[in-house]
Amino acid sequence: MKTFDRIWRFIGSIQLAVPLLGAIVLVLVGATFYESKVGSVSVQHEIYQSPWFGALMFLLAVNLGVSALNRYPWRNARQVGFALTHLGLIVIIAGSAAVIHLGVEGMLLVRTDRGANNQVRMQGDLLEVMNPDRTVESGNIFINRSGKVYPTYLAGLELADYRENTVRSIQFIEGETVPNPAVRLSLTSDRMGQNIERSLAVAPSSYSQMTLGIAELAIVQTNSDEELQQLLSPPSNKTQHLWGELKIDRGQKQAIVDVKDNISKSVNFNDLTIELVDFFPDFRLDKNRLPTTASSQFNNPAILLEISSSTGTEGWFVFGKAEFPPIRTVISGERIADLQLDYQFETPPAEDYFHVIATEDDKLYYTAKSSNGFKSGTLAIGESVTPGWADFQITLKEYIPHGKLQRTIVPADNPQVQGNPALLVKTAAGTATWLPWGEPTTIEEPEGEIYAAFGPKLLALPFGIKLEDFIVDRNEGSQSVAMWTSKIRIQDPINRISKQRNVWMNHPTWYRGWKIAQASWNPGDLQQSTLQVKREPTWVTALTWTGSALVVSGIAVMFYAPALMRKMRSKSNQTEPATAVTPEVAEKPEDEGIDRNLTPIS
Amino acid sequence: MKLLKFLIGICLGLLILILPVSQFQTSPLDPLQELTVQLEGRKKPLDTLARETVTQIHGKTSYQPLNEEKLDYLSTYLSLWFNTRDWNEEPFILVSYRPLKESLGLDVDRKYFTFSELMRSDLNSILWTARQKQADKIPLTRDEREALTIEDRLALTLETVGTNNLPLVPHPTDIKGTWVGIEDAQQYYDDPSVEAIQTDYDALRNAYRENPQDESILGEIARSLSTQLAALSPNVYPEHATLHREVSFYHLHPFAKAWRLYGLGFIAMVLVMAFKAENIYWGALGIFGSGLLIHGYGFLTRVQIAGRPPVTNMYESVIWVGFGIAAIALLFECIYRAKYYLLAAAPLSIVCLILSDSLPAILDPTLKPLVPVLRDNFWLSIHVPTITLGYASFALALGLGHILLGHYLFAPQATPRIRSLSKWNYALLQVGVLLLSAGIILGGIWAHFSWGRFWGWDPKETWALIALMCYVVPLHGRLAGWFSDFAMAVTSVVAFNGVLMAWYGVNFVLGTGLHSYGFATGGSELIVAGLVGLDLLFVAIVAVKQRGRKKEQQKEKTQFPQIYAPD
Repeated sequence: MKTFDRIWRFIGSIQLAVPLLGAIVLVLVGATFYESKVGSVSVQHEIYQSPWFGALMFLLAVNLGVSALNRYPWRNARQVGFALTHLGLIVIIAGSAAVIHLGVEGMLLVRTDRGANNQVRMQGDLLEVMNPDRTVESGNIFINRSGKVYPTYLAGLELADYRENTVRSIQFIEGETVPNPAVRLSLTSDRMGQNIERSLAVAPSSYSQMTLGIAELAIVQTNSDEELQQLLSPPSNKTQHLWGELKIDRGQKQAIVDVKDNISKSVNFNDLTIELVDFFPDFRLDKNRLPTTASSQFNNPAILLEISSSTGTEGWFVFGKAEFPPIRTVISGERIADLQLDYQFETPPAEDYFHVIATEDDKLYYTAKSSNGFKSGTLAIGESVTPGWADFQITLKEYIPHGKLQRTIVPADNPQVQGNPALLVKTAAGTATWLPWGEPTTIEEPEGEIYAAFGPKLLALPFGIKLEDFIVDRNEGSQSVAMWTSKIRIQDPINRISKQRNVWMNHPTWYRGWKIAQASWNPGDLQQSTLQVKREPTWVTALTWTGSALVVSGIAVMFYAPALMRKMRSKSNQTEPATAVTPEVAEKPEDEGIDRNLTPIS
Repeated sequence: MKLLKFLIGICLGLLILILPVSQFQTSPLDPLQELTVQLEGRKKPLDTLARETVTQIHGKTSYQPLNEEKLDYLSTYLSLWFNTRDWNEEPFILVSYRPLKESLGLDVDRKYFTFSELMRSDLNSILWTARQKQADKIPLTRDEREALTIEDRLALTLETVGTNNLPLVPHPTDIKGTWVGIEDAQQYYDDPSVEAIQTDYDALRNAYRENPQDESILGEIARSLSTQLAALSPNVYPEHATLHREVSFYHLHPFAKAWRLYGLGFIAMVLVMAFKAENIYWGALGIFGSGLLIHGYGFLTRVQIAGRPPVTNMYESVIWVGFGIAAIALLFECIYRAKYYLLAAAPLSIVCLILSDSLPAILDPTLKPLVPVLRDNFWLSIHVPTITLGYASFALALGLGHILLGHYLFAPQATPRIRSLSKWNYALLQVGVLLLSAGIILGGIWAHFSWGRFWGWDPKETWALIALMCYVVPLHGRLAGWFSDFAMAVTSVVAFNGVLMAWYGVNFVLGTGLHSYGFATGGSELIVAGLVGLDLLFVAIVAVKQRGRKKEQQKEKTQFPQIYAPD
C-alpha cells in the first residue's frame, strides 16, 4: 500500500511534471525544425499523430489529473485556481487529440459548369484489393516524403516500394495467334551520347510509327513483291505543296493557289484580290486573343487572308483541318457573295526516316532517308545500319513475328520524364506488380486474379454540393484579391432539402454537422472552387471550448484571486492600515501549502 | 499631491511634443501632398505614395544626389514623376546584399546604383533562374530572393519616372471603381472637364520643371487640380479630412515622439534613483505616460486610416509590443512603485519603435489591403493583440531580468533589493503566462473557425506553446524547489528566446506552416542570432560568478535563507 501511495504521489508530482514538460518542449522544438525540412504531412504522421507522442501527452494528462486530485478538497482560492487550470488542461488535451484523430476532413472540388459533387478527397491514399474469392479489403496508405510506405503489409499484399514518377513501357513478346511482325531496335550515337531502344509493331497501329527528335521510325507489312519493290525504291521527287493549297471556288470558276509560294502576296481572281497575309503552322489564340502559332509543327495549319472586292473587304481564317470551317469577318463594305475557300493540307512526309518492311515469309528489309540520301537493304538481327543522321547507328535487336503487346510500368529515373506515381506490391506468391495511381490493375495469380487499386482516398458525403457562382472581389483599382465567395447549393435528396448558402473566408457554413468552408481557388479558372469539408463531433468542440474557459479562468484565479481575497478581507476587517493592501506576489505560507503533502523524490 | 505631480509630468511631456510649434503650421505644399491617388487597393495621398515609393526603391526617406542638396522624399518623388533628372544615371537604387553585389560584379562598397548599371549587370540571368525555380516550386537562394527585390525596385523606378498614368482621376460612379491617369481621363469624362484637368496637370509639371523650389505656385496649381478632380466625381473622391488625417499622421510621426518621451522618462527615473529625488518620481511617470498617450494615439490613428483591426503584420506587432511593454510597465509601476519597471521598459519600447522606423525592408510600414484569410474576423482581432501583449510582458520580464542579473553581477550584497526585484519579476511572469495562455487559446478558437480545427500543431501554434512552456516549466521548477531566485532571473532572460522564436523565428527562420501571410525574407537572421548569442554569454558570465559566490558562502557556512525553497 505504501509503495502504491508513493507511486501515486510520484505520478501526480511536480518532480515528474517538470522533466516531462521539458521533454515535450524538446520534442516540439525538434519537430518544428524537422517540419521545415520534410514538410507538414510527414511530421504530422511521424511525430504529432504517432503513438509515442500520444503516450507522452497521455502521461502529461495523467500527471495533471493526479496532481489536481491530490489536492482535493480545494480549500482556498489558489487551490481552486490550480484545480481549474490543471483539469482544464486535461480537457483541452483530450479535446485537441479528438480534433486531430476523430475529425473527418477533406477537400471538395466544385465547379459552376458541373453538377453537384459529393466526393470529398481526403488526405492520404487508399489501397483497395479484391481477392480471387471476391472478398474486398481496403486500407489507408501513407507515403512520407522520402517515399517510405506505411504500413508495410495491407490486405495480404506486401507494399514493397513507392515511386513518385513511373512510366508505362511496352514490349512485344512472341505469342499472338495471328502474324504481327514486331521489332526491337537500338539507336546509338557516340557523338550525342545516346543509346535508346524502341519497339515497333504493325499492330496496334499506334506502335507502327513513332517520331523521335531526329527522325521517324516505322514498320510496314507487305504481301506482294511488287509492293515491296515499290517500298524499297527511292521516293519520287514530285512537287510538293509544303504549306498546302488553297482552293478558291466562286460559282463557275475555280482556282488553286500554292500557299508557300504566295504568302504575303496578292492573288487576283476575277474581281477579287486575295492577299495571303499570314500562315500559322500551329494556329492558336494567345492570351490577348490574338492569333499566333504554338509551334513550327503542322498541327493546326491556318491562313489569314484579306479578300477585297469592288464592294467590300473581308478578313478570313481558313484551316487545314477539315472539321474547322473558315471564319470570315467583314472589315468594310458588303459581304462577298458566292465565295468558298477550301484549304487542303497534307502533312508532308518526314525528311528523315527509318522504315522496317516485313514480308510474309518473315524477311526484313529497311529503307532509310537522311539529308545524305536514300538507302535500302535487308535487315537481320545484330546487323547495324547507318541511316545518315549524325553518327546514329540502328541495330535490330529482336524480331518477333507474332508480337503480343505487353505493358509494364517502370520507375523513371529521369526527372524530366512526366510520369505517374505508382506503388509496388508483392503477393504472397511473390509476384511483384506496379500499381499506377488511380488505375485499377489486375494481378495474375495461380489461384485467380487479384484486382488492386491504388488511388485517392475519397469519402462520399450524404449530400451533394453544387457551385452556383464563384465571386472574386478585388481590392479597388487593383488585381489583388480582397475576398472570394462560393455561392453553393446544398442538395440533399434523402431529406429532400435544397439550400443556397454563401461560403467565404472565415465564414463557413454548417449542414447536418458538416462544416463547409472556403479553402482555395484557382486564379486561372474562376468556375472552380475548392471547399474544405469537415465533420467534428459536437462533444469534441464542446471539450475544447470548455477546457479553454477552464484554463484561462483557472490561471486568473490562481494568480490573482488570493490577493483580491486578502484585499477584500482587509477592507472588511479595517484592522490593517490601507497601505498594506499592495498585492503580495511572493506566496505566503498558506499558499505554499500546495506541495506540502509531497515527499520530494530524491 | 501625487496626482498633481503626475499631471505636471504629463503636461511637461505633451509640451515637449508640441514644440516646435512649426510642425503644426500648414505648408504651401499641402494641396500637392493631399492629392489623392488610387494605388495598391486603396486611395492614398500623394505624400504617402511619395514616401512609399522612395523608401521602396532607395531604402530611406531622403535622397542625396551627387554634389547637390539633399532631397526629401517628396522632392525626390516629384523629380521622378516629372522626370527632371537623368534617372538612368542617378545612383538611386538600393542594393544592400553583399554576396549579390559580388556575383553581379558590382562595387561591394557602394550601396546605391544607377538604373543603367543594374540593367547592364548580370541581374537578368539570376532573375531568369529564379523565375524558373519559382515555376518549378523550388526554394530560392538568398541571392535570388534579393535579386527579385532589386527587380521590383527597377520596375517601380521604370513605372514612376515620367509617368502620365498615375491614377489621379476618380471613377465617375463606383466607389470601388478603377481610377485612371490624366491621359486616359476621357474614358470617363467629356472633353471640357478633361481639358481643364489636363491644363492644370501640364501647368503643375511645367512649374516644377522650371522652378522646383517655388512651393507656393506648386501648391496653388495642385489645389486647383485637386478641386477639379474632386468636382468630377464628388461621391467617389475622398473627403479632404481623410487625406489630411493621413498626411498629418505621418507629418506628426507620433511613434518617433513616443520613444523620445520614453527616453526622457527613463532619464528622469535615473535621476530619481541617483539623487533619491522622490519628488520627481511622479513627474517621471507623467513624462513616460505622455509617451504612452502619444504612442496609443498614433496606433489608433493608424487603425483609423487603415480601416481595419491592428496587428496584422510584423511592423504593427513590433509597434504594439512596444506599446504593451510601456503600458504594462506603467500599470505595474502604479501598483508597486518599483521604479525598475519603468527603467526596464523604456529601453525596450525605444528599441521596438526605432527598429520599426528604421527597417522598412524588413518591417514594412506601408498600409496594404489585407489578405482574405485575415479579413473580417472577430477572433483574430482579439487573438493577435492578446498573444502579443503576452510577448510584451515577457519582454518586460527580459528587461527586468537583465537588471536583476546586473545586480547579481555587480551588487550581490544588496539582498533586499534583489528580493524585491525577484518579486516584481515574478509578477510579470504571471501576467505573461496568463496573457500568452489566453492568446494561444483564442488562437485555437480562431483556428476552429478559419481552418476547421482547434489545434493542429502548426509551427506558429507549436512555438507559441513552446514559448509558454519555457516559462511554465521554470515556474513549476521553482515550486519544486529546483529553481532559485537567481534561476528565475536567468529564466526571464533565456526563456525570452522562445518568445523570439515564436514571434520572429517562425516567420523568418522556419518559414513553413499556415501563418504564411506573416512570412518575410531578409530578416537579418545572423544579426539577431549574434545578439542572442551575446546575451547568453552575459548570462553565462553572471552564472559562473554566482556559482563561485555560492561555493564561497557554503565554505563560510553563511548560507543565506532561500525563501522559496520547500520546507
